[in-house]
Amino acid sequence: MNTFGWRIALLVGCMVLTASNHPVFAQQKALPSFIDQAISKSQPKMVKVFGASAGKVEGFATGIIVSKDGLILSSQGVFLDGRQVKVVLADGAEHIATILKRDRETQLSLLKIQAVTPSFFELSAESVGKKGDWVIALSNAFKVADKDEPVSAMLGVISLRTTMEARLTKRDVAYRGELVLIDAITSNPGASGGAVITPDGSLVGIVGKIINSSETNTRLNYAVPTQVLHEFVAGKASVNGEAQPVTEQQDVEFGVVLFKLGGRNNPAYIDRVVRGSPAAKAKLKSDDMIVSIAGEKIGNLKDYAESLKSLRPEEEVLMIVKRGVEMVRVRIAPRLKK
Amino acid sequence: MRDIFLRLVVGGLLGLLANPLTFVHAQTDNDNSEVDAADAAVSGLSQAELMEAMTLTSRAFRNATNRVAPSLVTIESYGGVSAVQGRIGGIRKQGEGNTTGIVISSDGYILTSTFNFIQRPPVISIILADGKRHFAQLVGRDDTRKICLLKIDGPTDLPVPEMVDESKVKVGQWAISLGVGYGDTSPAMSTGIISAKNRIGGRAIQTDANISPANYGGPLIDIEGRVLGICVPMNPQSQAVGAGVEWYDSGIGFAVPLANAEKLLDRLKAGEYIRPAFMGIQSGPNPLGDGILINKVNPNSPASRLKLEEGDILISINDKRVNDMLRLKQLINRFEAGETIRITVERKSTGKEEKLELPLDPPPSNAKEPLAVPKIR
Repeated sequence: MNTFGWRIALLVGCMVLTASNHPVFAQQKALPSFIDQAISKSQPKMVKVFGASAGKVEGFATGIIVSKDGLILSSQGVFLDGRQVKVVLADGAEHIATILKRDRETQLSLLKIQAVTPSFFELSAESVGKKGDWVIALSNAFKVADKDEPVSAMLGVISLRTTMEARLTKRDVAYRGELVLIDAITSNPGASGGAVITPDGSLVGIVGKIINSSETNTRLNYAVPTQVLHEFVAGKASVNGEAQPVTEQQDVEFGVVLFKLGGRNNPAYIDRVVRGSPAAKAKLKSDDMIVSIAGEKIGNLKDYAESLKSLRPEEEVLMIVKRGVEMVRVRIAPRLKK
Repeated sequence: MRDIFLRLVVGGLLGLLANPLTFVHAQTDNDNSEVDAADAAVSGLSQAELMEAMTLTSRAFRNATNRVAPSLVTIESYGGVSAVQGRIGGIRKQGEGNTTGIVISSDGYILTSTFNFIQRPPVISIILADGKRHFAQLVGRDDTRKICLLKIDGPTDLPVPEMVDESKVKVGQWAISLGVGYGDTSPAMSTGIISAKNRIGGRAIQTDANISPANYGGPLIDIEGRVLGICVPMNPQSQAVGAGVEWYDSGIGFAVPLANAEKLLDRLKAGEYIRPAFMGIQSGPNPLGDGILINKVNPNSPASRLKLEEGDILISINDKRVNDMLRLKQLINRFEAGETIRITVERKSTGKEEKLELPLDPPPSNAKEPLAVPKIR
């Protein structure tokens, strides 16, 4: 397979990237130039961003041009924290950028250079691309492209469009908006701020900062979708974080004390049952492990605390606990917290 | 990094053709034929048709996914070993999320990856495609294939996906990996091809579709939505339960084929715990000639019971000669604990060759019994 791979890589490398003037391929008319076109049409809209680095954290990223007067979208990062941020256009021209805004939650930044930029990506207010669609990721991962060299292209499909909790590797900043997961490997240094496009050149989103899925603890390959970019650039205050309706919160309790030694990720084991409490009436016992409340999984103390917030006093719910080697179902109504 | 160009050709240009392998086959011999094959494959297709071909493959990916989706389940686990010390493969610690399994019988048997149970959770529940939650028992497990069998009680008409016989799987054909590990009810997909067959002692097929904790336990399917295998972390160099995770999303991924696995499934249903084979020798290449030089014999091991000694030379296993360590590993990986192999050894003490029968043990460090999961009242 390795040799096949190489041959095909060479073959297609020639066909797609340098096709037209190579003597062997010169006569071929029916090559997939639409992908070449999508990529080459997008290259003038791509920029390389350089700034400060800190220790092992890279001081470079990718960006996309989003207006004809030099507005550039990129990701957040330490490269923005230095004395100046340098933007290199596709033709190799260098400009010093000013940072217009940066957003902690979406991990996006908006830069501005004093230049006319006739080629730019339209930011659709509607989402682009669905699961299974082919996408091309364009980025300057690992700083492979220098000066006026075109950034690297990778092919993949959209794996899933989903809203999920994901977190940065270092600081515990969570992004809770929609992510477009793709199966091209973009979670590499310098790729963030790159473009993810469809084979006809429409923008699906930009490659996001390197983050880990809290579900799998693996690095995510994803794009921040174009509608989020649209809102960010348009300047709406809250992106995907619509304010929660404020309701009168009534704290409730079952009358159990849980083991809390192991931290919030430990399972919800009952340490003690308060006499006369709903838990006592439901005959819950010490060492019972709470597994489910009102149909929701209780995997740990965090889940338990979340679950309590959604319950109302005196409203009966089904609770499942593990007692010894048995699963026991009880009906229990929480009471107003004293 | 994955070979994007391979996928570009196989995917984009030939999406309309039934089997992308035809292209790969067409250019095995000399470099000039590559050009001819590419020319022939795309001749007569316009740009619009090529674009259409890509759209059609995307639609085929979605259809294939939808076909198997009713048999996908979400597995939740509760508690267990809370803080796994150190790393599991390349991952600092295991994620908190749910994992994937696949229905293999209408009466509630579900297969998944043992990776999902590294934390040995005392409680396991399963959410079926219809959204209903059931508590499950861990019935049997096979550490040589990194899979385990769960059982839920109640449902009798669960949809069982079609399985593809491994002999019908072709290198170069489409492969789509699916999993619900990212926490959405709809599975995440990654597409690629079958990279190789007959890997890991003949127990796995290899793919360049992304395989990771997001889809361990989920199916690898073909473009028709039939199951080629179940995604697992594997590494030919190590039998440890998390080995192979370090290759997640790398273009090197493995899946265990399930068609014709009735015998294996019967053993798992009977509660068997299948473990890798262990001989109990530490060895190195023989500097003086053929065979493997035994440097140390572990006490209370199959080798020590046969009174093998330091300095003995292992010549062959089941009449297959062993001349390097990789070959030794490959040969041993084909067996499991409990099986007996025939070895030929040249004794240091006598200088003579002896033929011996060696019953294999499970590795001593891996001797923990599978956890009993509570009965449902």
